[in-house]
Amino acid sequence: MKEYNIVITGVGGQGVLTAANILGWAALRAGYKVRLGEVHGMSQRFGSVISYVRFGEDVYGSMVPEGKADVMLSFEPVEALRYINYLKEGGMVVVNTKPIVPVQVSMGMAKYPSLDEIRRIFEEDFKAKWIGFNAEELAEKAGHVVTTNTVLIGALTQVPEFPLDAEHVREVIKISVPPKAVDVNMKAFDLGIQAAKDILGL
Amino acid sequence: MAKVSDIVLWDKPGEKVLLLGNQAIARGALEANIAVYAAYPGTPSSELTDTMAAVAEKAGVYMEYSTNEKVAFETALAAAWSGLRAMTAMKHVGLNVAADTFMSAVGMGVEGGFVIMVADDPSMWSSQNEQDTRVYAKFANVPVLEPADPHEAKEMTKYAFELSEKFKHFVILRTTTRTSHARGDVVLGELPEEIKQGKRKFGKFKKDPSRFVDVPANARNFHPIILEKIEKIREELNNCPFNWIEGKEDAKVGIIAPGLSYAYVKEALAWLGVDNVKILKLGTPFPVPYGLLEKFLEGLEKVLIVEELEPVVEEQVKTWAYDKGITIPIHGKDLVPRIYEMTTRRAVTAIAKFLGVETPINFEELDAKYEKVKPLLPPRPPSLCPACPHRNSFYAIKKATKGKAIYPSDIGCYTLGLLPPLQAVDTTVAMGASIGIAHGLSIAQNGSLSEEQKSPEKQVIVATIGDSTFYHTGLPALANAIYNRSNVLVVVLDNLVTAMTGDQPNPSTGETPHGMGKRIPIEEVAKAMGADFVAVVDPYDIKTTYETMKKALEVEGVSVVVARQPCALYRIGQMRRKGEKWPIYQVNEEKCTGCRACINTYGCPAIYWDEEKKKARVEPTMCWGCGGCAQVCPFGAFEPIEGGSQ
Repeated sequence: MKEYNIVITGVGGQGVLTAANILGWAALRAGYKVRLGEVHGMSQRFGSVISYVRFGEDVYGSMVPEGKADVMLSFEPVEALRYINYLKEGGMVVVNTKPIVPVQVSMGMAKYPSLDEIRRIFEEDFKAKWIGFNAEELAEKAGHVVTTNTVLIGALTQVPEFPLDAEHVREVIKISVPPKAVDVNMKAFDLGIQAAKDILGL
Repeated sequence: MAKVSDIVLWDKPGEKVLLLGNQAIARGALEANIAVYAAYPGTPSSELTDTMAAVAEKAGVYMEYSTNEKVAFETALAAAWSGLRAMTAMKHVGLNVAADTFMSAVGMGVEGGFVIMVADDPSMWSSQNEQDTRVYAKFANVPVLEPADPHEAKEMTKYAFELSEKFKHFVILRTTTRTSHARGDVVLGELPEEIKQGKRKFGKFKKDPSRFVDVPANARNFHPIILEKIEKIREELNNCPFNWIEGKEDAKVGIIAPGLSYAYVKEALAWLGVDNVKILKLGTPFPVPYGLLEKFLEGLEKVLIVEELEPVVEEQVKTWAYDKGITIPIHGKDLVPRIYEMTTRRAVTAIAKFLGVETPINFEELDAKYEKVKPLLPPRPPSLCPACPHRNSFYAIKKATKGKAIYPSDIGCYTLGLLPPLQAVDTTVAMGASIGIAHGLSIAQNGSLSEEQKSPEKQVIVATIGDSTFYHTGLPALANAIYNRSNVLVVVLDNLVTAMTGDQPNPSTGETPHGMGKRIPIEEVAKAMGADFVAVVDPYDIKTTYETMKKALEVEGVSVVVARQPCALYRIGQMRRKGEKWPIYQVNEEKCTGCRACINTYGCPAIYWDEEKKKARVEPTMCWGCGGCAQVCPFGAFEPIEGGSQ
């Protein structure tokens, strides 16, 4: 495989970097050349964040260029929309539909777009495929809201032609989380897989 | 996965691991048998220092978090003078702080290998400017190495020590955000026995005043020595393993790709499907090895230099070509932007134009489509964390001054006090500048203590500075303000760690990575310096904080208020690890009148506006339980509920 490009977006503190790291290790263990791009420092403080995961024979830089992401994994709907230009035509977005309202919106200085509008732009204007569901709810069902990123990673593995095997990814999560959190994370992973399967009709 | 601090110490040569560029450099330093490491953290260099902190004791390396880059530089330099391999690291602007020593000591050279790691931040993801460290290298006549990926960063680190030792000269290892904060596959090399055994190494300083005392008579000898060294190094770099020519040997067009730009050039060419070009991959943007350049230019009809920021390579190539009478077109900054970071898109666009071909996708069309999306996007700038004590301090300062003061501030998390609704930051310039600027404003606005110069209405000036920044460069500025009878209030936002860069310890923390250092309470320093009013407050108690600020403002002279409360992010992290719980606040809808005072004056990111109910609400997953909202609400609508730890 030449290259596979994932962009992960969300709000600083949601676990975007952790998700990128897990996917990176899974790709490394699958024998791929890997590049991850991250932003640390000030942007991490509850601001908008984007991380890049790339693997394959032909990857060099750590950033996915605009128009080249095969798939976007997004922890928050507006943060999916903010980076929509990274998605290639016909790409897929896996998105947690639970919004985090920015302070500027609460102050009445800006508006939060409706979920329907966001989805319409993805599907109609950018010809993308949309896998949207409330991952936070599923994480709570699994046992803890911090497993939201595990739910989302589970869903990601069901994207058609996703090059990493779900079981390999599961293995990396298992050895990455603290021992006492393994069970909830496995549950969360399965709930994510199921959510994506339901939406994709698999 | 295994912890990074374990991986970096793995004795598994040949093992492929995933490391951050900064962590790969730490591993490289260990493979090079480093003895002394000293640094002040700064994004994007910090993880190198943190990784060294995590492994130093086991590896027998002396490591310290120094109080600023200059002190760190001197610490490592003196170790290198003593024959040890030593390293210091900093963000690009850190070299400005260390520049005095850097520029003067360069002529003295070193005995043990001395590597200065400088992490630049093009596009300023977490910085105040985008200066290009390669210009400093040229200025000081010091070679600069720049890796294209994390594995090369590790290998280059080892090479940098060898190069430094061979020529007894400083070597800069320059990264950018996209190498320091890129993770990639790294192949581990051999660790030296001393590192494996954790044996501390000691050196010996041999006195030589003609070399180490830079009185003019001695210093006059330095410049010719430096120039001789750098030309010898330029020669040496023709055979540097990080410089090479690749691609079609008989190609008519060539691309020069220094540092990380090499990665973008490779990717751009693959994307364009172009392979009839020759590439000069340059791991050493200064000095450019002319022998290799000459070989590269043979048979070429035109050249493009794909270079990030300043035309450092371009100027060297063009100067050399002119002197040689080479007249082929050499493109660079005419096709590649001089501002912000390099991207694949930039490389692909420049190369397409250079070759006269189409870009692989129509970027203009994509941009036009995205332009329509932009107006729908609410801004989400970074913000002070929930429960951040700085929010409370700013709130109290604004209230005590009725928003009418001038608020010079400084470099740290609290710079975010700039944003609405706090808007309590009027200036930030550089580390420690808040107090100097406050003093200058006090003079300029007739706020100083010389009676005859005072205007009828005194302009109130309140400076804010963090604990780490205070010890970094705030100290001389405070001494100056007190000595020159300034009239300002200095609030030291003391959260007991260097929070912005990842909660590193500093003199206000007291702890070092290897046990207790000696804690220096800021209020004692202020008293010893002769401040006219000194107090310590807990910003979680907003009322007392406000009253103390009022009191301090009534005092003529320099007042220092230390607002002390641990960094919330650090505290919550520790509580999570221990499985401890904290209270979570929620809005009592019957008491909430919808006045929005919490949102419009306090601005905790956990509080949001419920448009349907026209009331404030708390996002429970984001509440860290400081209770500031309950103190700010005029109607007592915020109430703690039994919370679970997140």
